[in-house]
Amino acid sequence: MPAATARSFLQVAATEEVAPPLRVVQIEGLVILKIIKHCKDHSPSLVTGQLLGLDVGSVLEVTNCFPFPMREEDEEIEADGANYQLEMMRCLREVNVDNNTVGWYQSTLLGSFQTVELIETFMNYQENIRRCVCIIYDPSRSDQGVLALKALKLSDSFMELYRSNNFTGEKLREKNLSWVDIFEEIPIKVSNSALISAFMTELEPDTPVTQCDYDRLQLSTSSLMERNMEFLIECMDDLSLEQQKFQFYYRSLSRQQAQQQAWLQKRRAENMARKAAGEEPLPEEDPSNPVFKPLPEPSRLESFLITNQISNYCNQINGVSGQSFNRLYLMKALHED
Amino acid sequence: MASRFWTQGGSDSEEEESDYDEEVETTVGESASQAVTSRYLQDNASDSDDSDGQKRVVRSAKDKRFEEMASTVDQMKNAMKINDWVSLQESFDKINKQLEKVMRVTESEKAPNLYIKALVMLEDFLAQALANKDAKKKMSSSNAKALNSMKQKLKKNNKQYEEMINKCRENPESEEEKEEEESEEEYESDDEIIEPEQLRRREAKSDSEASQYEDEKADDGEGPWDQKLSKKDRLLDRQFMKDPSEITWDTVNKKFKEVVAARGRKGTGRFEQVEQLTFLTKVAKTPAQKLEILFSVVSAQFDVNPGLNGHMPINVWKKCVQNMLIILDILVHYPNIVVDDSVEPDENESQKGLEYNGPIRVWGNLVAFLERIDVEYFKSLQCIDPHTRDYVVRLKDEPMFLVLAQNVQEYLERVGNFKAASKVALRRVELIYYKPQEVYDAMRKLSELTEDGDNGGEASEESKGFEESRIPTAFVVTPEVVARKPTFPENSRVLMDVLVSLIYKYGDERTKARAMLCDIYHHALLDEFPIARDLLLMSHLQDSVQHLDISTQILFNRAMSQLGLCAFRVGLISEAHGCLSELYSGGRVKELLAQGVSQSRYHEKTPEQERLERRRQMPYHMHINLELLEAVHLVSAMLLEVPNMAANVHDAKRKVISKTFRRLLEVSDKQTFTGPPDNVRDHVMAATRVLCKGDFQKAFDTIVSLDVWRFVKNRDTVLEMLKDKIKEEALRTYLFTFSSSYESLSLDQLTKFFDLSVSRTHSIVSRMMINEELHASWDQPTGCIVFQDVEHSRLQALAFQLTEKLSILAESNERATEARVGGGGLDLPPRRRDGQDYAAAAAAGSGAASSGGRWQDLSHSQSRQSSGRAGYGGGRSMVLGQAAGSGYSRGRGTGSGYRSARHQDASYGGSGRIAQGGSALRGPQSDVSTRMVSLKGVRS
Repeated sequence: MPAATARSFLQVAATEEVAPPLRVVQIEGLVILKIIKHCKDHSPSLVTGQLLGLDVGSVLEVTNCFPFPMREEDEEIEADGANYQLEMMRCLREVNVDNNTVGWYQSTLLGSFQTVELIETFMNYQENIRRCVCIIYDPSRSDQGVLALKALKLSDSFMELYRSNNFTGEKLREKNLSWVDIFEEIPIKVSNSALISAFMTELEPDTPVTQCDYDRLQLSTSSLMERNMEFLIECMDDLSLEQQKFQFYYRSLSRQQAQQQAWLQKRRAENMARKAAGEEPLPEEDPSNPVFKPLPEPSRLESFLITNQISNYCNQINGVSGQSFNRLYLMKALHED
Repeated sequence: MASRFWTQGGSDSEEEESDYDEEVETTVGESASQAVTSRYLQDNASDSDDSDGQKRVVRSAKDKRFEEMASTVDQMKNAMKINDWVSLQESFDKINKQLEKVMRVTESEKAPNLYIKALVMLEDFLAQALANKDAKKKMSSSNAKALNSMKQKLKKNNKQYEEMINKCRENPESEEEKEEEESEEEYESDDEIIEPEQLRRREAKSDSEASQYEDEKADDGEGPWDQKLSKKDRLLDRQFMKDPSEITWDTVNKKFKEVVAARGRKGTGRFEQVEQLTFLTKVAKTPAQKLEILFSVVSAQFDVNPGLNGHMPINVWKKCVQNMLIILDILVHYPNIVVDDSVEPDENESQKGLEYNGPIRVWGNLVAFLERIDVEYFKSLQCIDPHTRDYVVRLKDEPMFLVLAQNVQEYLERVGNFKAASKVALRRVELIYYKPQEVYDAMRKLSELTEDGDNGGEASEESKGFEESRIPTAFVVTPEVVARKPTFPENSRVLMDVLVSLIYKYGDERTKARAMLCDIYHHALLDEFPIARDLLLMSHLQDSVQHLDISTQILFNRAMSQLGLCAFRVGLISEAHGCLSELYSGGRVKELLAQGVSQSRYHEKTPEQERLERRRQMPYHMHINLELLEAVHLVSAMLLEVPNMAANVHDAKRKVISKTFRRLLEVSDKQTFTGPPDNVRDHVMAATRVLCKGDFQKAFDTIVSLDVWRFVKNRDTVLEMLKDKIKEEALRTYLFTFSSSYESLSLDQLTKFFDLSVSRTHSIVSRMMINEELHASWDQPTGCIVFQDVEHSRLQALAFQLTEKLSILAESNERATEARVGGGGLDLPPRRRDGQDYAAAAAAGSGAASSGGRWQDLSHSQSRQSSGRAGYGGGRSMVLGQAAGSGYSRGRGTGSGYRSARHQDASYGGSGRIAQGGSALRGPQSDVSTRMVSLKGVRS
């Protein structure tokens, strides 16, 4: 087996030059279970952990993971966290488990994960690992009987833009980047070794209905809807705030333009006078003048992220309400019978 | 008598005069000190009259101490004689030490009379020395230094014995039983000398008194009396007294110039100057000259009090008014004399006599003088303690000023200077506007009564006195042409109307604004709320008031608060609240109304600010009762807020009518124990608590127990109105709070509960139904209200909230595009107006957005969102429609809100003074609204 792995490593090294795009994230069942357990245990507080695995061609295999201890807002502890991570990796290597970092996982609350922090973390990982993913698990949605697991990565064009840290309207138009293009979702494929599959089949109960199916039939969805609604309202507030920033910017911009015009007019009149007097005209640009100092345009990143969030919430509401309609119709039909 | 005095001065030769001053001073000092000495000796050396230094064999310790003291006093006297301040200072220190010993010996708390006397003597001598500037200059430096330090010491020291000194000054006899006639008189004269100013004032006030003095002094032969006149004064007198007929215009003019030139110079007594000038008016040759001099008199009188903080002495003020009246007499009598302050008149303009027919120009500014007099009056009222009798007496002087103002105004109108006349009219308005009819009547009666007897009499007597005392007859006799009695119309409103219309016609901006505010105030005072409100709204003063000066802003605040009180009296609760809430939002009512300084905990004021603030204060009689104001504000807030709170239990934060009230309520809710109500606030809070439960009777009783209601005009009707309102709001609150507990409720029951008539209850409930505040319907046959349970679930409430947020977002987005596109915004509003179907409006919005070039990205999301929404089924788009609908109707609502702020009543808050911050943001919106208004106009 080690030889095979080594070969595959070589293969990877060889294929890397071609660098096919990432198509699928293949996750071991065990990893998923570990993630779910970790996230669910700590819900509603948010937790993170490391993903370990291999990068094989267009497939990213995630074969192992370990959780990070609960983070606290302290620099010292953050340093401890890094130490913990290294130590863990070392230990894993010693017991000969896969210890190649391929990304991280984190839990979220109703999909409120699209934040600047996430992007920052992603950029950090991206620096070291060419291919990395972030797996998001939403325990609250899983209560509905869905496996709310998502693998995300940042789009290449966005990363490029982020590196130059230039989110002005012009640049965004140039790149033809809109809010949908920030994140790319990668399909997840769950793989189990044959042995496990066989064992699972053995374990499978006779009844065709599982707990999961019962969960799906739960009729009360209002709490979920309410939470979603609340988040939406929050987003609206944030968006208004962003908008105000822009309004302020445009107001000051127009004011500045007016000032510039006035200045130019004055300078031209002066030049006319100088010309009449036979003197050299003064330059029409004066970089030292504060009037010509360009105003920094507010970043669009925040509003993009908020928009992303909003669409996320909307989708969730749609999904949940659609399902609950179905259930209600079902119930109605049952009652009628 | 007077002439004797004058001639006496004149008979002295000039050489004698020059050093007479000092001589007299010293002799007086001497004689006084001698007298004092002998007195003390008599008093203290109990055994014999033998003088000091005599050795006695048996003496008590007490006597010994006293003797020591007496000898020190003697030393002091000697030092005084030779004007030796250095030794005087030493003696003073010594006597203080001795005092301690004496006190110890006698074991008394009180300082001995001997010591007090010495202090008095020292003080007098010091004052004398200080007054005598010439002598002071001549002093050696060490002497002068000693004098100064003595001054400090004495001041400090005398403070402890102030009471006793005063007592001693008042009646030396009571202290000294064996007082001799002679010494007493000496003493008195001594007293007189050091206060020439006071004396002169006294003389001015009542000549008879002065002449009495003169009598005395003349008999005495010795002339301490002379001393009060400065040399210059006497010279002046002599110059004119020698031969009255020889006085020419030139001499008078020369003298006048001389006196005026001395003005403001160091060493020129301000009172003296007034004196001199007043005298000169008597000898003026031509009316123009007299006028010229009178102007100087008035300005010299203004100079009497140089500080900004103090006020002009009241008697000077009165004289000043009299002088102004004489000026007017002259001006009316000789219509060819023109007063002007723009051109510097010819030197000899005033030489032109009676015969001269052409216009004579005299420099002067009547309005400025009048305004200054008014300011001084105002200041004096600020300074005088309002709880003393002085204040009332001072208030009685108001008619005097009104007469003057009236006359000046009439004169100016006659001359045709309407601009100035309007200024004067404003001054009159500002004295009248705050007076309710009762006060006005009282003033009218007072002026009618007293003018004849008291004031006028005094004035005429005074002038007569002058003429008698100074010269047999003034050269220019001015008959009293101008009325000395004010004529007030029956009704204060009539007077206000006349004055105000004059101001509106001719006044400048500020004058007009102030007059308008006074007018509003007065209307509000007379319970004419609609008129006052219309005036306020038509004048647009709310928009422009923050650009005006602070005193006008204060006036604005006063007018607003009065308007609020008026609205309350006539039963317009929400209007009253609208007027007052802004005033109370900052918690600095006192400062806003300039009725006292409130300490701010957070930032210290600089002394400069404090002084400025103190100068802005309103005199006490103009105050608006703050307690009443607070009561009205809180009660109206309660009436509005209690049903509002009951209606919005779910999201209490959303609709807040009165933030101040909410805050107070929160604070009072936090209290663990609530005691019986104490102040206005507590009362209202207690009432609120019971009103929340719908118990109107208790609420009303609590409110009525406030004793500020006695300051309300027609108290009973107002309270009746209040009770009615409370009942109504109690009913509404009850329905809001408990409707969910009922399935149906009979009308009879309700009327019984709230003691309202059936029709009234019916109308209130029906109104609530129409406004969708109450989800119920009438069941006519049984006379019942049938409630429908339409409680929103939390999800629904959230959805509503979300739609609201969305509409705000959409609105501001549109505004942004409008601002960006500019031209695109123009055709937006009309579309929006007829856009009853919201889809069209949305399309217009996105259309405008996409035309907005750079805004594509944002509009992208918007259009995508909207298209996404449109994709969903009927129910969804209905929600959207609702959202958009509420958004747009809101927009229209705010628009009409603005319009109503302009043309109708209510919602003063938004466009008021304090809301400056949002003005920039509101700019385009109000633009839209005006556009909408004009559109509407076109349509209709």
